[in-house]
Amino acid sequence: MEPTYPNGGVNFCWRLQYLFSEPKRHDVVAVRFAGSQVMLLKRVVAREGEQVEFRNGKLYVDGKEIEEPYVRLPCNWNLPSRRVEKDRVYVVGDNRSMPIEGHHFGQTSKIRIIGAPLL
Amino acid sequence: MKIKYLLVGVLMVIIGIVLVVKVLPSEEKRVKKRFHLLSEWISKSPEENSFIMLQKMKDIGTLFLEPCELKAQNESLSGSYTRQEISAYAGSARSHFFELDFKFYDLHITFPEKVIAKVTLTARLIGKLKTGEQVDEIRELDCLLKKIDRKWFFNQIEVIEVLKK
Repeated sequence: MEPTYPNGGVNFCWRLQYLFSEPKRHDVVAVRFAGSQVMLLKRVVAREGEQVEFRNGKLYVDGKEIEEPYVRLPCNWNLPSRRVEKDRVYVVGDNRSMPIEGHHFGQTSKIRIIGAPLL
Repeated sequence: MKIKYLLVGVLMVIIGIVLVVKVLPSEEKRVKKRFHLLSEWISKSPEENSFIMLQKMKDIGTLFLEPCELKAQNESLSGSYTRQEISAYAGSARSHFFELDFKFYDLHITFPEKVIAKVTLTARLIGKLKTGEQVDEIRELDCLLKKIDRKWFFNQIEVIEVLKK
């Protein structure tokens, strides 16, 4: 999630954030990646039913380019369009300077979203 | 006097029960032991010689039931494997590493049937490739083990796809 959050940094998670609401586009969320201890901080870029794609590093949702002021490092990603499945959200990190193959991103079940960072 | 003997008897029964519970491994402990062995045999120290390497490769196969099914995001890895194939595959994968530490965490074990154990866990692989590159990978796994002749064998391993590109 660099440069928004430094790698290996410590943060606190507000677990009640999505108790009565749904994650929205641009929200930073904590995703339970493995077991009960391994979490990833990711940004929600699309919600269920939406078409998401990357063209020359730019994010497109339902064919419209989405402004992402938090992406400050150069990006040249290309990803064909795909629909976000039911009960899922599409999450991506802010650091897109690395090759697309090496970045953990994609659609994940809402159940895996355990909250939002406090700071 | 009778009460004294009765108390001693009750105390001995309690000590006996505690000893049986402590000494005899529960099914959960037996299952955990299989994961411990798998972790030990997959891990590799820089000093490992060819004899130990061959022994470990052979040992890894003995933990699996034939055939064992592997489900992964990478479709080329998914499929049914024999013990020999698993040993060969593990040996081939280990050969790329100079040093390898493979551990399991957060084991959540349930027994849907008396002879079936379902285990959800976190697997972490930390290693150094022979090319000098450092590797640190974490995945959530769902495993199914079957009990045959009082021993638990891996029957199915699924790498959970948390993020689907």
